[in-house]
Amino acid sequence: MTEGRAGFVQLNDVTLGYDRHPAVHHVSGLFEAGSLTAVIGPNGAGKSTLLKGIAGSIKPLSGSILTGSSAPRLAYLPQLAELDRDFPISVEDLIGTGFWQKIGSFRSYSRHDRQLIDVALEKVGLAGFNKRILGTLSGGQLQRVLFARLMVQDAELILIDEPFAAIDSKTVSDLMGLVRHWHDEGRTIIAVLHDMGLVAEFFPDCLLLARECVSWGPTSSVLTPDQLAKARTMIEANDPHADECERAA
Amino acid sequence: MLRLLTFCSLMGLFLGTPIYAAEPIPVVASFSIVGDIVSHIGGDRVSVDTLVGPEEDAHVFDPAPRDAARIAAAKLVVINGLGFEGWMDRLIKASGGAPKLTIASEGILSHQSTIDGHERIDPHAWQDVGNVRTYARNIADALIAIDPEGGGLYRANLSSYDDELAGLDQEIRAAISAIPTERRKIVTTHDAFGYFALTYGIEMVAPQGISTEAEASAKDVARIIRQVKSEKIPAIFLENVSDPRLAERIAAESGARIGGKLYSDALSKENAPAGTYIAMIKANIRELTKALMP
Amino acid sequence: MTNLASIFDLLITPFVDFAFMRRALVGSIALSIGACPIGVFLMLRRMSLVGDAMAHAILPGAALGYLFAGLSLGFMTAGGLIAGFVVALLAGLVTRVTVLKEDAALASFYLISLAGGVVLVSLRGSNVDLLHVLFGSVLALDDNTLMLLAVSTTVSLLSLAVLFRPLVLECVDPLFLRTVSKSGSLSHFGFLALVVLNLVAGFHALGTLLSVGLMMVPAFASRFWSSTLDGMIAIATLIGILSSGLGIVISYHAGTPTGPTIILSAGALYLLSILFGQKNGLILRLWPRKHLAA
Repeated sequence: MTEGRAGFVQLNDVTLGYDRHPAVHHVSGLFEAGSLTAVIGPNGAGKSTLLKGIAGSIKPLSGSILTGSSAPRLAYLPQLAELDRDFPISVEDLIGTGFWQKIGSFRSYSRHDRQLIDVALEKVGLAGFNKRILGTLSGGQLQRVLFARLMVQDAELILIDEPFAAIDSKTVSDLMGLVRHWHDEGRTIIAVLHDMGLVAEFFPDCLLLARECVSWGPTSSVLTPDQLAKARTMIEANDPHADECERAA
Repeated sequence: MLRLLTFCSLMGLFLGTPIYAAEPIPVVASFSIVGDIVSHIGGDRVSVDTLVGPEEDAHVFDPAPRDAARIAAAKLVVINGLGFEGWMDRLIKASGGAPKLTIASEGILSHQSTIDGHERIDPHAWQDVGNVRTYARNIADALIAIDPEGGGLYRANLSSYDDELAGLDQEIRAAISAIPTERRKIVTTHDAFGYFALTYGIEMVAPQGISTEAEASAKDVARIIRQVKSEKIPAIFLENVSDPRLAERIAAESGARIGGKLYSDALSKENAPAGTYIAMIKANIRELTKALMP
Repeated sequence: MTNLASIFDLLITPFVDFAFMRRALVGSIALSIGACPIGVFLMLRRMSLVGDAMAHAILPGAALGYLFAGLSLGFMTAGGLIAGFVVALLAGLVTRVTVLKEDAALASFYLISLAGGVVLVSLRGSNVDLLHVLFGSVLALDDNTLMLLAVSTTVSLLSLAVLFRPLVLECVDPLFLRTVSKSGSLSHFGFLALVVLNLVAGFHALGTLLSVGLMMVPAFASRFWSSTLDGMIAIATLIGILSSGLGIVISYHAGTPTGPTIILSAGALYLLSILFGQKNGLILRLWPRKHLAA
């Protein structure tokens, strides 16, 4: 159980983007502490960018993002492509990197830490996989390992970016069970997804993003046909002739 | 009386003027040692232009267009010969003419030796002072041929220079004889001392493979160390072109002394100890005796 | 019995007989211990050519040191280190601040550095001695150089131990590292600094170009014997040490230049590894063993 309601995320008229073109444009709102929110939207809607901004990987072009009343532990699971699957590292060691925020780069794992790794592996259905090398895992197994690492990080704010692309349905349902469990523990979870069925089934709150905020609130009110249609019309490619944004900061 | 004196001085002036009005004869020498000898013989009557200057390497000399111009402007070109100036033919062709060419080493007794791994005529004939006396004579003859008016000066200069060379030769022999016979050998990385070795009786051992171009192999190094140890060679001489660190290692392990700098192919610049040919030979003798005397 | 004796003669006696052989061995073993683990990381991070680029970047720094103070261990080392660090820093800066990726940034600065080095060398006049000097000689390791190698290896190992975790994470999951720690950049620069340090130490023994070989080739070979990081590092170091010993001994018996022979030995072991390695070796792939029951 996380202590306090520290894991909220406040977006203050934030604009995030690359090369001055906004990918997320003037978005404001609040992810309440302990909420379980899905971020959905058409391709190019800025969903990954939003998560990167919250994680602190990129700086806002304007506006600000406030995470928690004091710096909460943050866990960020980016899209799969960033990981080097050929690197000769064992499952155990990869999960172990999740302890970084606790032990830094020198201190070794305690016996308790090793037990936590075992528990995490069990929870994701990979008991006994400790010594396996990364390259020998299937896509679904790798994803489970990454979720195990998330577990071990014991974070108050969890950001997940498209974790289920090309993953088998058994793994998806197992891992969503884990997400629900985290939600029950009071952690704040923000997940980018494209599977509407999953969103409708598991996520109480939803943010529909099409570069700008189309709709944000309980999933039942956001996931309606006209909201979705509206989102599709709003998205457009980067305008090479765009002028500077005139809107008030 | 006064009129006679005035007449004589005016005549003297008149006769002497051609000498002061005459331009020095432009002579091009291929490299510094030859250039030095030409200066000694020619004196003020010649202006010597040297292609490969002091501390430069004649083996890697690459003639530039202005060198062709210098040759074209010269009345006499003096080279060492014996294959030393491989680039000279090309250069003379490029200069568009064949000014009077003198081979300084004409008439000396040459020998073959292993240079850069090949059996060739050894061009470094100047290492035997006796040969340089021939050089000087050849150069004097050439100068007299193109400038008969200076004959007197040239002959006088040749005479005094020859005396100096003879004295130098004696000096060398005396210095060497003072060194115990069994110590009259050195290892040197340069293959230019063949004539010196033959004439004056110092054995020059060339370490195979440890040259300027090739990288050393452990086999060569071992061989040299073994040889120095077994033949009790007292000194190794550094040549500043190859890796001095290796020579130091060999010296340390074989117990030989490291000798100082030996000048082989070129004079040094003005201020260093080998600014003229005679000074160069004397410097070499100093280093040899220093290293070889017990 | 005679077989054993003759193998002993072949492999061990040269080291017993000659101090320079022992020094060469100790020096290259020290180098292997420091450099091979770095090579493994370079390989895994797909930075295998970075070593070569850095070696070219270091060259002008060492050249400057040589021009300034001759064959001074201190100056050439300092020059090489400074040049390497400056290039690494500038490349890193450009990567982080501009749109150029790491490979382009590094290439840009090492090329500029290299061209600068060529200009410097030509200003000196003759480039023969400089290039030869920069080839290094593993047969000429004096006490100071051995000490330098020992210090550099120690520093390298200690730093690697400290940087190990961030380094690994930066390879596997750099984004994750960035979210949990600010030390990503530091460990990256620290790693490049270690590459520079090992290359600079290496060039005293093997020359800039060959020391990259000792850093990388054993790492490539280790890929075929182990699938864990620790295993690769251990095996790479072992192969480096083996290549050093083999190379020196072969150079002793066959008369080949020692530095290149060491690298060729590593190359031979690498080829053997491709064929016979227990992980993904070609022979295993052509004639696979029976699969396991579970």
